[in-house]
Amino acid sequence: MLKEFKTLIPYLKRYIPYYIAGLLFLIITDAAQLLIPQFIRKAINLIYTGNFELREILTTMALMLLIALFVAIGRFGWRYFIHGASRRIERELRDDLFSHLLLLSSTFYRKMKTGDIMARATNDMRAIRMASGMGFVAFIDGIFMMIAILIILFTRYPQIALITIAPLPVVTLFVLSFGKMLGHRFKRVQEGFSRLSEHAQESLSGIRVIKTFVQEKSNLSRFEETNEEYRATNMALVRVWGFFFPIIGFLSGITSLLLLKFGGVATLKGDISPGDFVAVLSYLEMLIWPMMGAGFMVNMLQRGAASLERINKILHEKPDITSPPEPLREIKSWDIRIDNLSFSYNGEDVLDNISFLLPEGNTLGILGRTGSGKSTLIRLLPRLLDPPKGSIFLGGQDVHEYELSLLRSAVGLVPQDTFLFSSSIRENLSFGNPDMKEEGIREVADISTISRELETFSEGWNTQVGERGISLSGGQKQRISISRALAIQPPVMIFDDALSAVDTETEESILNAFLKKRQGKTNIIISHRVSTLHAADSIIVLDEGKIIQRGTHEELVREEGLYQEINNLQKLEHHGERGQK
Amino acid sequence: MNEEKVISGYDPQIMRRLLQFLKPYKLMVVFAVLGLFLSTAAELMTPVIMQQAIDKHIVVRFFRIKEGEQPLFADLKIPDDAPMIEGWLYLPTNVFSELSGREIELAKEKGAIDTSSYYVISRGGEDIEEVIWNHQKIFTLSEDYAAVLLEDLSTLPEEERMILRQRDIQGIAEAAVLFFILLAGGLIFSFLEVYLMASTGQGVMKDLRMKILGHTLGQSLKFIDKNPVGSLVTRVTNDVETVNELFTTVATSVLKDISLMVGVVVTLFLLDTRLGFITFLTLPPVFFITLYYRVRARDAYRRVRMWVSKVNAYLSEHISGMEIVQIFGREKRCRKEFSETSGELLKANISEMLVYACFRPIINFLTSLSIGVIIYFGARGYIENLISLGVLIAFIHLIGKFFRPVMDMAEKFTIMQSSMAGGERVFALLDQVERISDTGTEPLPDPVRGKIEFRDVNFSYVEDEQVLKDLAFQVEPGETIAIVGYTGAGKTTIASLLSRLWDVDSGSILLDGIDIRSFPLHELRKMIQPVQQDVFIFSRSIVENIALGSNITREEVERAAKIVFADSFIRKLPEGYDTILDERGANLSTGQRQLLSFARVVAHDPKVLILDEATGSIDTETEKLIQRALNNLLEGRTSFVIAHRLSTIRHADRILVLSGGELVESGSHSELLSREGVYYNLYKYQYEAGNREILT
Repeated sequence: MLKEFKTLIPYLKRYIPYYIAGLLFLIITDAAQLLIPQFIRKAINLIYTGNFELREILTTMALMLLIALFVAIGRFGWRYFIHGASRRIERELRDDLFSHLLLLSSTFYRKMKTGDIMARATNDMRAIRMASGMGFVAFIDGIFMMIAILIILFTRYPQIALITIAPLPVVTLFVLSFGKMLGHRFKRVQEGFSRLSEHAQESLSGIRVIKTFVQEKSNLSRFEETNEEYRATNMALVRVWGFFFPIIGFLSGITSLLLLKFGGVATLKGDISPGDFVAVLSYLEMLIWPMMGAGFMVNMLQRGAASLERINKILHEKPDITSPPEPLREIKSWDIRIDNLSFSYNGEDVLDNISFLLPEGNTLGILGRTGSGKSTLIRLLPRLLDPPKGSIFLGGQDVHEYELSLLRSAVGLVPQDTFLFSSSIRENLSFGNPDMKEEGIREVADISTISRELETFSEGWNTQVGERGISLSGGQKQRISISRALAIQPPVMIFDDALSAVDTETEESILNAFLKKRQGKTNIIISHRVSTLHAADSIIVLDEGKIIQRGTHEELVREEGLYQEINNLQKLEHHGERGQK
Repeated sequence: MNEEKVISGYDPQIMRRLLQFLKPYKLMVVFAVLGLFLSTAAELMTPVIMQQAIDKHIVVRFFRIKEGEQPLFADLKIPDDAPMIEGWLYLPTNVFSELSGREIELAKEKGAIDTSSYYVISRGGEDIEEVIWNHQKIFTLSEDYAAVLLEDLSTLPEEERMILRQRDIQGIAEAAVLFFILLAGGLIFSFLEVYLMASTGQGVMKDLRMKILGHTLGQSLKFIDKNPVGSLVTRVTNDVETVNELFTTVATSVLKDISLMVGVVVTLFLLDTRLGFITFLTLPPVFFITLYYRVRARDAYRRVRMWVSKVNAYLSEHISGMEIVQIFGREKRCRKEFSETSGELLKANISEMLVYACFRPIINFLTSLSIGVIIYFGARGYIENLISLGVLIAFIHLIGKFFRPVMDMAEKFTIMQSSMAGGERVFALLDQVERISDTGTEPLPDPVRGKIEFRDVNFSYVEDEQVLKDLAFQVEPGETIAIVGYTGAGKTTIASLLSRLWDVDSGSILLDGIDIRSFPLHELRKMIQPVQQDVFIFSRSIVENIALGSNITREEVERAAKIVFADSFIRKLPEGYDTILDERGANLSTGQRQLLSFARVVAHDPKVLILDEATGSIDTETEKLIQRALNNLLEGRTSFVIAHRLSTIRHADRILVLSGGELVESGSHSELLSREGVYYNLYKYQYEAGNREILT
């Protein structure tokens, strides 16, 4: 458990002054708090004897209020410093976590889902904050108060100390064992909640299917089951959790009861004064919290450790794709050479012995079925996935030799799945080039023809696209994505089947404008449509990770093979038509 | 992420509507509230028991008044069996709290009262008589009682004192037993209350969820268009969960706190009116400070919520879009942006922390202040014999109980308000009604032949943007109709109108000569089914994805899959027909998903079919398979195909060409080509472009 907390040490170190100040305030608070019952005791004893001046009571109470003022200031102080430190640590840890996430490659993101990472960045972060803030306070406060009160009770009121505190260790044990019992019930409730969300999400996304196949009732009854399950897990939790505070109240009541019984007789005998009786009553009440705190602290630290472990899983994940120690900071030319590239992913061979040359200024077309390895191939070039050394060369140098950010900024990739950020269209377009001027935006928007629809957006370029571009059509998203890549004017540009949601007429005009703009630069275009590949200087055909054909469009059309087959299939319809005509 | 309203004010209307949901749980609520009051009463009784034990047994004192002078003390309740010894009537000191100090002084001057502290013993028992006998000098005796000055009593050895006070010791033990019973009662009742309230809350949540989902499923698609799925899911899950806070936090804890606080004040007044009143005067500052901090806590909470959701939105979006961030080399910028957002959250958190760091110590100080005031005025009362020690101790004890709930009162108000806001959002959703009216009662013709007629149909999604204009055509049973036209021509709308996902504005659609609105909606939809472009897959098994909860046997499912050639790929899956599919069918290719949706239709066997052909990228071989499956699918059904592929169009019996919501041409492929109209142009353009997809 302690091993996990190592991660926190550098952060804690930075806030040592906070913790020391907090500690001081905490101890002032505790010490002053311990004095308060003494004033009450004194006053009660004075009153009991009957022989007193009211002024004596007044000064005692005034002194008590002075001490109470110290308590108040002390309480403010420790909260300010310790909660302040734990909040700041939380923030720094969260920032560092995000910074680390920025370094990790898709290998990691395949393994860990967004929802999972989010849970770690929120829930686990909270648990760590609790451990470094309240956990710390509970620990110090608990130990200090417990020892001090026990000393006071045993030295001043030895006759009744032992018997009255008897229920208190039970409180600690109870809180501890409760934590364990609750832990897995909480987990089950959370799982139930996830299932519920999933079900709601699915029913609502699939509402068309549900309606057309008239499945409203069966869907609702399934939802009812999930709902009922969730309710049951919640009630299982309540059956335990509902007892928690009543039992704590009961146990603390028992200490008062024991005081009444034994302290009452002691007072009656004259062993202790009525003032003592009241003071002990106050001390016993003060002891409840540290005793609970001891239990809470153990739980909090345990949870904190578990959460840190989960955070460490991310933080200790070594970025597998990094710049070399002495990177090249300049790319001399934009020739791409691929040499005997084989690549496997998750134990599956994806690419097998791929070689080709793409001279600067040329356009390469890639055709292949789904799953032939096209998308993997193009991700290897900007090292979004890491190719084996000595297999991919840019400007005559292995891509591993370059500084990573330099390499990536040289390659513009338009991926198959369009991802837009929930900001304005303008911000999305200038994502890679934030300083871009109005004309620049206009130009790249013209190439992808998204500018044609400018007037249909309520606020022009400043229209918000919604989460992941939800307010846009598929074609609009794809075109923004193309413009976004063009905006950085990359020397090498890769198009991964990026026009699938655009109608043919538009595709044609986009491709023409694109190729004109990209004249003299290096491009790679992946497509299902033979027509799209016409314009490429050379074409390779991929099948099951191998290059099975290469050549120009004209050559490939004549050559027997997959390219011709696909070309024929796509043309077949026209031939049929010609016959009818 | 849009910043949703996190906190609303107290709205009685929302509260009233929420209370409606409590109706089925009336009995539980009644018992819960009963449990709450009983447990509160038990908690308030314990200090009183302690006070009684102190005053009656632990610190007992008697004053005595002259017999015959009772009229002077007419205000006092003098018990009939008050001990009478040698012409003096002995009364416990607390009886005198009704008198003012002046009245007592007056009586003293008259010699009617002796305010020395006495202890009175009822005689009987050998050991007691023995002690009295041994110390005759200090006792004044009657037949039944013995009185002794407290000073004298304390001169006796401990053993003898214990003998004299054995009844008090027994009294303490009895008080302890009573105390225990109250504690145990409190434990049981408060658990009962928590459990019943939680049970009610859970029940209400379940009902609310069912209601929201049921409501949504019963609405037309306009409803879904207005409310994005993401926010609907939030309504069903998180918002309902915050409504639950109203039951768990507000009902159990705020109600409990309030009844406890009121109970404390009442008990204080019952114990001693004067001191109760003085104590009460110390409370208004607490009230105003709490009111002030409630507002500040709410504002702070609002800010925190806002930044929490911004940080989370940023985080989740950038984790999902990490590849884009890396492709565009935006890591540094993102780090900076995130750090800024996260810094704002920190600021909000710190200012929220400061609110509580001020509020709680202040309340704490006020507790001490109240205790100080109680002790000071208590002491004054004690001098004047107006107050007993037990009452004073009970006051100190009770005031502590009063202040404890105040500590997190501000926090609870905030929670209450945010759950109100949750309720508001839920009800706003339930108030939206976009239902397709389902008033038809006509039974479907038996058998349904599948003749369809559009009679001057007009339709628009939004006012003034007419999508279909006076559309009229007839389709014979079993005919296959291809609908072609440019994007926005109204092709998909025809499909939605046929299955009544939307209703026509004017005109009518007839099935076998009867208006489709006169059939029950469910019956109609069983007969007319659309197949969508993007196939929605549920994360259940293949069998369930085909049967979709209808009464369809496994054999029928498999037969349907075979008919559309889906059987072979299904059998290749690890668990065959029992393979659980991924969310959104990620483990199937686009083509396979399409085949699966065909199997769905075959299994449900509608008489009329509307097929929206997929435009997505499917590799050419799968496409061939789909074409063959399609032929089987269309066989024997009246079908509308919103076609994109030439082969499909060619195989159609008739082609309807739409333009701008109007039917501009209809006829077979060759007829239309020879007419050289819209279809011809469409065809020619696409053909010359040399594309696989003819019409999009």
